Amino acid sequence: MLLSVFIQDRAQSSLGRVVDTNSRGLYDILVLPAGKGGEGQTLKQPDYLSGAGGITNEQLEEIRNLAGIGVAAPVSLVSKVVQDIEFPQLKATDYVGYNENIATYLEQQNIKDAVPASEWPEPDSVLSEEPKNYRITAKAVTSDGVNDTVLFETAAEGSLGQAKLKEFDVPGGKSLRTVAPEGETGIKFPDPAGGSSHGDFDVTIALPMLPQISETVVAVDPAAEQALLGDAGGFLAPLAEAPGAAGRNAMEVGQEFSGKMTPGLFSGGTGSAEIDGHPFAFWSPFVMQYQSAMEAGSLTEDSQVIPLVVRSGTALDLTYSVQIEEIDDAGNKVADIGTVSKALGEEYLPFASTKPFQLRWPGGEDYNNLLGSGGVQVVAGLHQPASWSTDFVSTPEYAAGAANPDGSVEQTVTPQGWVQVNKLPEKTLQWQLEPDQSQRQPVNEQSYRTNLDGAGDAAAPLPFVYGTFDANAVRDAAGDVNYLPLGGYDPTPVKLTQDADGNAVEPVELQPGLSGAGLSVQSAGAITDYSGLAAVRGTSAEDAVIDAVRVKVDAGGSWADAAGEIDAAAAAIEKLGLDVQVVAGSAREDASIYVPEYRQDASGAASDLGTVSQSWFRQGAASAVQTSLSQASSVLLMLTLGGAALLTAASTVAFTRARRTEAVTLRAMGWNRTRIRSWFLSELLVGAAGLLLVAIIVNAFSRSLTTLLVSAVVLVIYLAASFTSAALLKPHPPAIDGQPGATGVPLVDSPLKFAARQLRTNRFNTGAVAVGVGVLGAAAGALVAVILDLPRAAGSTALGSLALSQVGGVNVALAVLGVATALVLTLITSRFDLARKRAQWDILEAMGWGPGLLLALRRSEAGILAAMALPLAIVGAVGVSLAVAPHAAFRAAIAGVLAVILWFILMTRTRK
Amino acid sequence: MIEEPQTRAEKIGRTADHAMPLELRGITIRYDGGGGEPLVVAEDFDLGLEAGTMHCLAGRSGSGKTSILTVAAGLTLPTSGEVFWQGDSLDAMSDDEISDRRRALIGYVDQGGALIDGMSALENVLLPAVPDKQVEARTEMAKDLLDLVGLGRRMRHRPAQLSGGERQRVAIARALILGTKVLVVDEPTASLDREHANQIIGILKDTTKDGIAVLVATHDQELINVADSRTLMN
Repeated sequence: MLLSVFIQDRAQSSLGRVVDTNSRGLYDILVLPAGKGGEGQTLKQPDYLSGAGGITNEQLEEIRNLAGIGVAAPVSLVSKVVQDIEFPQLKATDYVGYNENIATYLEQQNIKDAVPASEWPEPDSVLSEEPKNYRITAKAVTSDGVNDTVLFETAAEGSLGQAKLKEFDVPGGKSLRTVAPEGETGIKFPDPAGGSSHGDFDVTIALPMLPQISETVVAVDPAAEQALLGDAGGFLAPLAEAPGAAGRNAMEVGQEFSGKMTPGLFSGGTGSAEIDGHPFAFWSPFVMQYQSAMEAGSLTEDSQVIPLVVRSGTALDLTYSVQIEEIDDAGNKVADIGTVSKALGEEYLPFASTKPFQLRWPGGEDYNNLLGSGGVQVVAGLHQPASWSTDFVSTPEYAAGAANPDGSVEQTVTPQGWVQVNKLPEKTLQWQLEPDQSQRQPVNEQSYRTNLDGAGDAAAPLPFVYGTFDANAVRDAAGDVNYLPLGGYDPTPVKLTQDADGNAVEPVELQPGLSGAGLSVQSAGAITDYSGLAAVRGTSAEDAVIDAVRVKVDAGGSWADAAGEIDAAAAAIEKLGLDVQVVAGSAREDASIYVPEYRQDASGAASDLGTVSQSWFRQGAASAVQTSLSQASSVLLMLTLGGAALLTAASTVAFTRARRTEAVTLRAMGWNRTRIRSWFLSELLVGAAGLLLVAIIVNAFSRSLTTLLVSAVVLVIYLAASFTSAALLKPHPPAIDGQPGATGVPLVDSPLKFAARQLRTNRFNTGAVAVGVGVLGAAAGALVAVILDLPRAAGSTALGSLALSQVGGVNVALAVLGVATALVLTLITSRFDLARKRAQWDILEAMGWGPGLLLALRRSEAGILAAMALPLAIVGAVGVSLAVAPHAAFRAAIAGVLAVILWFILMTRTRK
Repeated sequence: MIEEPQTRAEKIGRTADHAMPLELRGITIRYDGGGGEPLVVAEDFDLGLEAGTMHCLAGRSGSGKTSILTVAAGLTLPTSGEVFWQGDSLDAMSDDEISDRRRALIGYVDQGGALIDGMSALENVLLPAVPDKQVEARTEMAKDLLDLVGLGRRMRHRPAQLSGGERQRVAIARALILGTKVLVVDEPTASLDREHANQIIGILKDTTKDGIAVLVATHDQELINVADSRTLMN
């Protein structure tokens, strides 16, 4: 019993450590605009940015000025941005060899790392000298993780052949040019795609545009955000160094960098540090965008540069493939050249590109690297300025359903309407063409987010990329167990777990759609500062543009240690008229969300997706986990101790009968009753002294009040049972069992009747053993019920799971110890009568009862006792289970029955 | 140990006689001395018991009488030697076979006439009939046997309600219930007064008249005197 207390005490300490370590995240309080806090709900969705703002800069400053505030980091959804992704290109090797033009280029560009002229290889080409006819089929497919959607499949035909170097007479001399072979028609996809053209290394075929995709931009205060994120916020350093709003005039900055742009820096990216120490990265595409915007007249005197830190890569599953076939004049396939494909995510950056989206004709070699650093080409027209939308994508709406036993609540997301995607831009800025939109089949995506009305008119902004961030690394910084979403730029993936019919499926992570408004959205494409937000939305400093403020209280230690300061800060912020959510002590909880009206078939009928799982967070999880698991552990301990104490008392008292024989002998020796009792008591007190010694040792380790109390109770129970046993030691003379047996009593003619007669004759021991076995069954059932109930007690949060994984084993050990103790005590009680039984077995053996019959006798005895104990075991197990874990009552009853059966097996395995 | 000529091995020729219900050959019984010298209670002991005779094992307490009886009744195994029941060696029998044969052949009455608590004298007598489901069929015979030992009026009494001599007589009746061929009796008169002891001696002697062989261990001179043969155990 003391060991049980010791184990439970250790489990409690471990539980406390786990909860304290894992329940204080990056911030302690989430401040939202008044009325946006979802009062009464403790399970919070990760998307809390509405784009509608609601908190003013003045309120932010008031929060920061409150006592005990460590960090107050604002965050807002700035805008939805529609991007026309690059024109893809198909490059076919058609290298014309070293020539004067190349030499001139290397000299003009001052490229030092090119391969020396003498080492350039002979001309090479995948094309034939005479042009051949080809059919090129471009295809784009996107997947949401469950279904593939073909966005377009477009074919173009024409002839291509090896380029020739040809001299032309020009005024003042001759000019060497790379020209198409005679008779070549080239290959041209529908506008706005360009045609094919020959260069010194490749023939380039312009492919159909990729579809437009949407990204979101969020605004943060870089300094406060870095303070919030700690080491994980290093990616915001360039944004913090960006010039103030006064130094961001787009036309001035554009002119400055256009003037500084030299051919050698044309490639961008790696040369950023060479431009006046500015922290720009990937700047050259924006100079081109500046030029395009200027040509289109979209930039005005008020246009501002928007400093951005953009996300690396994309979770959008978009694969572009090109099939190349050689055909005859009639269009019939002559040969299959091959198919090449590329996924968007391989080199994609929102708002910028480090490389063009190129695919290479099968079989060819890329000779561009002969030019060294001059071989990296950025083709004009690849980078279209983004279209900044003032339709803000708000948070999804959910309807909460029934609560599960573990406290989780099923959610249903509300569809907001279909959004058409897979469109071409209305016109391309470079050529000012209006493409034929009919070449694309529109695709509908369901939006689960409402578009809100935007803010005031703003001049078209010009984005400049200052750096990149890894969305998954930010997500990791937001924590796992103590997950607290940062707001828009740490992705919260959703996984499909059940189909629409409720059948479990292998979990599949859903990918975001082109609209950026589906249920699964990736991290914001870019992060800017609040000056950037004002530039995009045309807001002033007085406007309430802040969606949320994440507050870290200036207090160390665990959530429990800092609870006083956190509560005080929360109360003070609430007085400012804002909604306050204390998130210290929160934990991640995977919410099950039913997703209706997810897809449309050809007829326009909508079908549901099924159920997805997404990480949300549960307020107050730490307190709930600690309380419920502590309760479960305490119940286990009480059951263990209660059962053991009861059985110990029963054993001690049941032993009295055996002791009476000794008492008779002692009485015959002249001992009086007082002396006999003293003698037995002294023996029992030796046991009590041993118990006291163990209690002192355990308490020295435990040092808890519980252990002390239980030690005292155990000692009291033992002493009470001892004194009771001594009091019952009245040295009776040999018993005369009443009147002679009635003549009508059936004769014993079987082991079963023999056993029944013996058990009836020895009612005292029979009762003690039956009660003991019943208590064993009840204890086993109740302990199993509590163990089965542990997952429910732990709740559905990640903290609960972690805590359970840490202390669940100890609790199981506690339960096993309880059952084992009860079993041992029951077996001990059962054996007090063993000497008498063995004497009987000797007699029966001498009368010719064989081993089989004696085994049948033992089984009959144990079976009758088990049958007597079963009702107590079942009623006890079910009764306790109904009190502590109602849903496990049936299994508790089964466990109780099994425990009795186990006792039966052990008893009948006893060998003489 | 000193054996009288009538019971020596030479007389029975060391050959299994199928007419002999019980025969012991070269029985040695040795107990582990608990780290000291082993305790030898019998060594190379031979005994042939004729039907209708009473053989007495005499000697003081601790001389090994009870050990010989339990070996003869197949309740324990000797350290060496063989036990034959009606010429069949117990070495070749399983526990179940020994139990079956014992039930049919041997009636064992231990010292003090141990009975089962909580059961009447009649039920105690009928216990050997339980394995063969002969309880009902043997009930009248049990009553007759209790009458025979003078307890016809006490058959419903339980052991605690019987005196030592009465319990001994019940035990003898119980040993005879299945038509026993050999009665093995351990100290039947040890704790009885002379009157009750003589009653027991009379009952045992009477059983021999029915062709039953009696092997009895005792230090009661009266009983030793009425035996047909005897072995004095040292």
